[in-house]
Amino acid sequence: MSAADERSLMSPPVTRGQMTIAIGVSLALVALFVATMPYARLATQHTEAILPAYAAAIAMLELMTAALLYGLFAVQRTRALLVLASGYLFSALLVPMWVLSFPGVFDALGLDLGLQVTAMVALLRRLGFPLFVLGYGLAPAGTVRGRFAGVAVAKCVLAVVAGVVAALGLVLAHREGLPLLMRDARNVAELWRYVPLAAFALYAMGLAVLLARRRGPLDIWVGLVLVSLAIELLLISYIGGAIRLSIGWWVGRLYGLAAASIVLLVLLSQTVSVYAGLARTLAAERRVRQNRLIAMEALSASIAHEINQPLASMITNADAARRWLGREEPRLDRAEDALRRIVEDGHRANKVVTGIRTMFLKGAQERVPLDLNRLVAEAVATASGEARFEDIPLLTRLAADLPPVIGNAVQLHRVLCNLIENAIDAIKAVGDHQREVTITTQTIDTGEVRLDIADTGTGVDPALAERIFDPFVSSKTGGMGMGLMFARAVVEAHGGRLWVSPRLPRGAVFHFVLPAAMVPPERERKEP
Amino acid sequence: MSEQTAVFVVDDDPSVLASLESLLASEGHMVRTFESGRAFLDFARPDLPACLIVDVRLRGASGLEFQRELERHGIQLPVVFITGHGDVPMSVAAMKAGAIEFLLKPFRDQDLLDAVHNGIEQDRRRRAEAAQMAELRRRYAAMTPREREILPLVASGLMNKQIAVSLNLSEVTVKVHRAQIMQKLKARSLADLVRMADRLAGMGDKV
Repeated sequence: MSAADERSLMSPPVTRGQMTIAIGVSLALVALFVATMPYARLATQHTEAILPAYAAAIAMLELMTAALLYGLFAVQRTRALLVLASGYLFSALLVPMWVLSFPGVFDALGLDLGLQVTAMVALLRRLGFPLFVLGYGLAPAGTVRGRFAGVAVAKCVLAVVAGVVAALGLVLAHREGLPLLMRDARNVAELWRYVPLAAFALYAMGLAVLLARRRGPLDIWVGLVLVSLAIELLLISYIGGAIRLSIGWWVGRLYGLAAASIVLLVLLSQTVSVYAGLARTLAAERRVRQNRLIAMEALSASIAHEINQPLASMITNADAARRWLGREEPRLDRAEDALRRIVEDGHRANKVVTGIRTMFLKGAQERVPLDLNRLVAEAVATASGEARFEDIPLLTRLAADLPPVIGNAVQLHRVLCNLIENAIDAIKAVGDHQREVTITTQTIDTGEVRLDIADTGTGVDPALAERIFDPFVSSKTGGMGMGLMFARAVVEAHGGRLWVSPRLPRGAVFHFVLPAAMVPPERERKEP
Repeated sequence: MSEQTAVFVVDDDPSVLASLESLLASEGHMVRTFESGRAFLDFARPDLPACLIVDVRLRGASGLEFQRELERHGIQLPVVFITGHGDVPMSVAAMKAGAIEFLLKPFRDQDLLDAVHNGIEQDRRRRAEAAQMAELRRRYAAMTPREREILPLVASGLMNKQIAVSLNLSEVTVKVHRAQIMQKLKARSLADLVRMADRLAGMGDKV
């Protein structure tokens, strides 16, 4: 994978290496499981004391996993992530009640919620989590639209918390009338037998869905979580003889700990590598921009020299002509020579300017019908690295029925990138209030196609509003003042207009209008 | 201008050359233009008080390299640099190398003409100096070895008697030699003679 790739846990490919690690870890887990078997039924004494530490570890791991998954959702916006994150949150929130009600752990505090509460909470966790995983596996591929991922996350968190509180409330309210799951503090009742069976069924279904879909590495890791949980359950319910605090039961708990850590570890390592990749991409982009600036500097220096030369010659010729005419015996012939050279120099300067224009707009004749919406999407993709790094969403509102425009794709792409880069720079320069760039396309009354790029940045000083399109005028530190000049030149060469207006309450909107293609694209292309 | 003066211009831009030629000619200078430093070095210069205008950026060799080339060829013309894009380090380098002026294009005509005028004056002084020196050397060459021996002693302020003693001559002989020296060097007074002796001594072994 190259640094430019959008590394994502939710997108293929699942690499061979990842598969190997997943299988290897599974085998190791199974090996440990086999090694434990002979001692599984041995009971332990007073190991209740370790239980609060174990519970705290599980709860923290699951909470952190949930937080990271919610964070990942804020970027990738896939529904599946939201469901998985909620599953971890759900599981984590049940842990405190489980350990609080565990017989013999908090006796000193006088807590005795009844034998069945612990088992009921365990049942909720045991069956609830794989249901969430199933939901994750079956979630449609679409992304959640809307401006703020935070709102969706908050809704989910609230729903999960409310669900857990309601469920626990019900359990506690009816703790006397709960079904008989535990015979005594250590041994399960008949009814419990169905719980592991149901859980295994859910694990198997989940694993099948994940392996079948295999949307990305995360599916594999979550599958591994299910395998660990299944082994845990196997140890606890069967190998350990369904006896609490036996050797088998404790080893099972270790599997639970491993299950809770897998996704967290994967997310953390992924986060680090994604961040490194992003930083590299960004550095590369900055270098490209820097190089472009240096090239522009060199170019403008050579242009200055090319124009300065005839200019100097014109001035000297004019001085000479004045002197020839001012002599006691005016030399009209020499004065005329000088004037003729002035005219020549003027033409020469003009040629330089024309040359620059055609150089800038080279290939402007190669025009084809273009979909402006697609150009916008490409430009947004180009700028998305930096935008994501600066945490500036690039939003688009593109008209569905936009007629094509006739133009040069490379030049218009450059113009769009330029305007988006400007917008990002303008937002970077202000503090952290609302930060976003909105790009809108539409057809206007005149039949022309109009594009607006609105930002929430510093805005354009009204006194500068017209001058920013002039060469060498820039409001950015380190700006060359060439970008907008180039943009306007390109848009006008396409028969369009480019201007700027303030955005309320803050920021600026750059607009441009291009004529829509009148002729159907097919016929246009056939013409020479 | 009473005396004929020459200005040589080296610039690789023909239109700039033409405009400078016209401007300088309007002031009565004899102007010769060259598109390269090489062309100038190959040219047989007229024997006139002159000044050289050079564009710092020449194709091939830069103006500064050309300046060093001039030195190697023993050409002592005052140089005025002109440039389309001057920067401070370049102008400092040019001035250190002995340029009399560094002008940015486009320049005011008076600035250039003043610079050229100063350059020509400097060249005129240098030429006069060189001519005087050559004359003095010719006169010195006409003196006898004995006279050349006596000249520094006279110039150092010794009396005839003292000179006679130190060279083991009669005082009368020294007196005769002294009159000969005055006449051959065309010295109008003792002070004049001392000055000439100084200049001859300054040339050292060239004499």
